[in-house]
Amino acid sequence: MMRIAIKGIGAVGGFGCGAADLAAALARGVGRVTGLVVPTAQGELQLPAYRAETERLEQFVPKRALRRIDHYSKMALLGAYLALEDGGLLGSDLSRLGVVVASGYGATSTTFAFLDSIIGDGDICASPTHFANSVHNAAAANISIMLGAKGPSLTVSQFDMSVPSALVTARLWLAEARVDAVLFGAVDEASDLIGYLQHRRCGPRHAGAIAPLAGGESSVIGEGSAFLLLTRKDDTPSYCSIDAVETGSLYHGEYSAPGDPLWLLGADGRRELCARYRAAVPAQSRVACYAPIYGSMPAAGAFDLAAAALILRSGRAYPIAGAAGCDMHGNAVPLETESICSLRLAGDNEYAAVTLSRRGE
Amino acid sequence: MTHPWPVAITGLGCICAAGNDLESCMEALYSGRRGPAAPSRFTSGHPTRYPVFEAPGFEEPPELLRTSALALHAAREALSDAGLDAGSLEGVRVGVCVGTTVGSALNNEQFCRDYRAGGDPDLAPIERILRSNPASVIAREFKLTGPCQTVVNACASGTDAVGLAASWIRSGACDAVIAGGADELGRITYNGFISLMITDESPCKPFDANRKGLNLGEGAGMLVLESEELRARRGGRARSFLLGYGSACDAHHLTAPKPDGEGLRAAIAEALSCCGTPAQAVSFVNAHGTGTPDNDRVESRVLADLLPGVPFLSTKGYTGHTLGAAGAIEAVFTVACLERGRIPASAGFSTPDPDLGGTPVTGCTGIAGTVALSESLAFGGNNSVILLGTRGAK
Repeated sequence: MMRIAIKGIGAVGGFGCGAADLAAALARGVGRVTGLVVPTAQGELQLPAYRAETERLEQFVPKRALRRIDHYSKMALLGAYLALEDGGLLGSDLSRLGVVVASGYGATSTTFAFLDSIIGDGDICASPTHFANSVHNAAAANISIMLGAKGPSLTVSQFDMSVPSALVTARLWLAEARVDAVLFGAVDEASDLIGYLQHRRCGPRHAGAIAPLAGGESSVIGEGSAFLLLTRKDDTPSYCSIDAVETGSLYHGEYSAPGDPLWLLGADGRRELCARYRAAVPAQSRVACYAPIYGSMPAAGAFDLAAAALILRSGRAYPIAGAAGCDMHGNAVPLETESICSLRLAGDNEYAAVTLSRRGE
Repeated sequence: MTHPWPVAITGLGCICAAGNDLESCMEALYSGRRGPAAPSRFTSGHPTRYPVFEAPGFEEPPELLRTSALALHAAREALSDAGLDAGSLEGVRVGVCVGTTVGSALNNEQFCRDYRAGGDPDLAPIERILRSNPASVIAREFKLTGPCQTVVNACASGTDAVGLAASWIRSGACDAVIAGGADELGRITYNGFISLMITDESPCKPFDANRKGLNLGEGAGMLVLESEELRARRGGRARSFLLGYGSACDAHHLTAPKPDGEGLRAAIAEALSCCGTPAQAVSFVNAHGTGTPDNDRVESRVLADLLPGVPFLSTKGYTGHTLGAAGAIEAVFTVACLERGRIPASAGFSTPDPDLGGTPVTGCTGIAGTVALSESLAFGGNNSVILLGTRGAK
């Protein structure tokens, strides 16, 4: 299968905004955990959470044009603009650009706001604005509208597997030459609903920091967007290439990656997946996980790909905050391998493995 | 790409208001039978009881979303039609690609109501949604090992899922794909579409001068797509072939189509180009035809420009608008019509609109040819088109 290149990175999350902020947070080994106020039957609770700020979007889009756009779409828009800017395509002809967006949960705040309009005021007062913005593809639509991108557009929602599942299609669009570039990204938001789910699942005591492979429950809600500008592999500079994308279900054993990659695990402090991640990686393998930089969310798969691209370009693997169970503490170390395998697991047997490398750079 | 177009379709399945399987659906379509009625499964505070098209007698198991249960029902029929079962799927890399709108939305109304009332609602309804991702449900049921994707491109989801599945086959990523769409009726979409003022308070009238909007429906359509290698290995017959897929975004408005139909034109052109099919080869078009003023105006004008004189119809007069399922159900109907050599009347149409580019067929109409086009337009400006053919099918 054809290799594709990562030409630009745009990311917004608890660490800040842009590839440089993400790289700096990876180098520091910590993300910035603030909080999410969640209404509960016991009163308002402050849960630890990584929050994304979108003020920088006004550098790209007039404030007036953003009036009816919700936080979910704003995060996606900002990530998309940053990736285009980083890849040098901002302001270029985008007629051959495809847009692919993955989201685990969709625009949950706006979805709840629509339900609120029915619950609070009755069916005849249902909000058309909230309804129109609650559809899962609202973020992709807003990106296409703002950029004037008239190529194919796709939104995928496969919960934890949303990112690798969507990446399968982005890669095929390039292989088929349907488009010359794909703006590929993922977005998820920290909403009342997500906060309540976290509270009911993990409360009353919540970990303040993710210890991804420690074995206990330590997930911390994340939000943000990460976008990659993808093209077919060519001779122009890129962060790295995506060599293989494999997704599916395993009914016998775990996934086995070719070669001896650095394993970038999607472990994010959820207890139920920790043992599966540990079992999935061959003994003596080098392992990293960066959920402590951006938090626990389905969209984290796209942040992992952005982190892998930054690692491959710098040639140094970053340390990990809360690294109990990981073998990478302290300072960044030479990568010492030519490829990274970003592994995500979900459910009892779902898996996805994305192999990235700097071969040929 | 490892394999060229076309891609074989070896199995079809369908459930909607017109019937619980493809045969009963086609019998209803050809006899002109349709039965929109006020919702029976939920209540509404609207003084007008807007008609809907419910899947008759269908009950979902408590552990599944109705959407996913509908998807599973159609998938079983499609697999059976293809002559595949759990045993024959062992060792075959089968993917699942399903379009939906409701099927992955975290929007349980009672949960939200209890939560907003200051309660401490149980997570069961939300966990049920998380467990019921339509593509994952099908993959789990049949222990499928290939890629799994739930497409949420609003009302174009079903068409996109079928088109994307063809890419999976062509790239060699899968030996077979179960592809389609599924969506259920519910209060949330019912109230949402009414709030947008694009719902007809009487049975919908696609392409009619007096059309006032859509009626919602529910259902699922599924197709089995197979590689030529697998088909040759097991001796599977092709009911038809997917000859092309195109999609393009209007980049114009969140809920309204671009008046000049730019995205739809691009999508049709791309679908025709996949196999180099000339426009003259298209024998009919199964249009999106929702019955909303804007959709039908744009769509009919584009068809008049690009495919002048080609008969077209909307089957939403029999099924309602089944949202993420629509494109898949209509793909299934399109193949069935090609096989039978005739298309049903475009239900609900009676009065031509001089503002439109043409009029749909008004009675059962024989078709000359083996190629047809099915198209979907969606919120977000998505336009998706698939081209289907029966030449060489056996």
